[in-house]
Amino acid sequence: MAPYISPDPPIEQLARQLGPNGLPYALPIHPNLVHLTIGLFVIAIAFDIAGALYPVEKRLFRFLALPVTRAGFHDVGWYNLVACAIVSFFTVAAGFYEMLLAVPLPGVTSSIGLQSMQTMLLHGVGGVLILLVIVAMTVWRGYQRFAWRKDMGRQVQWLYLLVGLGLFLVIGLHGTLGAELAAEFGVHITADQLLAAGADLREALP
Amino acid sequence: MNHGLTRFMLEPLPLPFAPHLPFAPLLAELLPALNDHNLPWMDTIHPIVVHFVIAMGLISFVFDLIGVLFRRGKLFEVSFWNLLFATAAIFVAIIFGQVEAGLANPYGASSEILNLHSTIGWSLAGVLSLMSGWRYVIRSRDPQQIPLSFLGAGALLSALIVVQVTLGNQLIWVYGLHTVPVVQAMRDGLV
Repeated sequence: MAPYISPDPPIEQLARQLGPNGLPYALPIHPNLVHLTIGLFVIAIAFDIAGALYPVEKRLFRFLALPVTRAGFHDVGWYNLVACAIVSFFTVAAGFYEMLLAVPLPGVTSSIGLQSMQTMLLHGVGGVLILLVIVAMTVWRGYQRFAWRKDMGRQVQWLYLLVGLGLFLVIGLHGTLGAELAAEFGVHITADQLLAAGADLREALP
Repeated sequence: MNHGLTRFMLEPLPLPFAPHLPFAPLLAELLPALNDHNLPWMDTIHPIVVHFVIAMGLISFVFDLIGVLFRRGKLFEVSFWNLLFATAAIFVAIIFGQVEAGLANPYGASSEILNLHSTIGWSLAGVLSLMSGWRYVIRSRDPQQIPLSFLGAGALLSALIVVQVTLGNQLIWVYGLHTVPVVQAMRDGLV
């Protein structure tokens, strides 16, 4: 097979509209929505775990004189997950827009040994897969809450919690790739892109 | 460039903390050396911890708002726990924030931004703690109701969080503090 011949990068077409960070605005949107996706997902699972282990914790809350209900914990698990599923569509959409405009610094290998294109592909495909799993888990959680375990004290299956904890690990790794795109490959970071273009930061970013 | 940390950073094998202290050699043995992010750990931890302050703080207000507008008292329990979690998380965020700010070597206007970000960060810890206490009392009296004044406070809290996030965003996305190219430029004396 003939090797791929690289043409002029198509991002040149938009160069006039983009700032030094490669975006038409100063601060990227995707990393901010990520706060919401990760925070909501982690706390949703954490509170379902708290609800599942309620018989163990009961005494602690009595000691703290903090009135709690098991159903209240599972409410947090449910509503936070629903919010997470909704927000995450926007997280992925913003991520794709900003990744299409990404110009990683050349010649960099990340601290886990990947190059920029590998990192972006893994982060992009991984992001869609994680969104799929979050949506599937929300549907699964809904069935448990409103049908299968409607009248039970423990509203979630152990398997659900296990899958949730598994996704913590995946999200951790996935987030590391995203963090490396910024802090190592300099994607959408004004100072890094200016330095790569040979600018003097004392003048360019006083 | 008259920053104490910058000076030691230019040495060939940077120590994690100020080398002029008498116990510096001991510290150097106990603490890992700084990496290419100028951190003793792999990557910045503060932006990870703040997931929980930002997400839980904002969603607490959103659920309160939906609860009031659509008369869903059940949601007030959800926002209570989210608020409590945001409050617990901000203290962890401040601890890592202070350590990483101390190693950030801000330059140009980012020094002022970092000062403001630190001040608002500590203030947010106070605001969140007060609101958690207030909310605890409200919940003890009637878990199905919240007064409009609390909703107003939640709106102010959300605005404060948005301002704080914007400042933090500028430190990383504009000034690139703790990113490899900026740390390298500092060590080369270019910033």
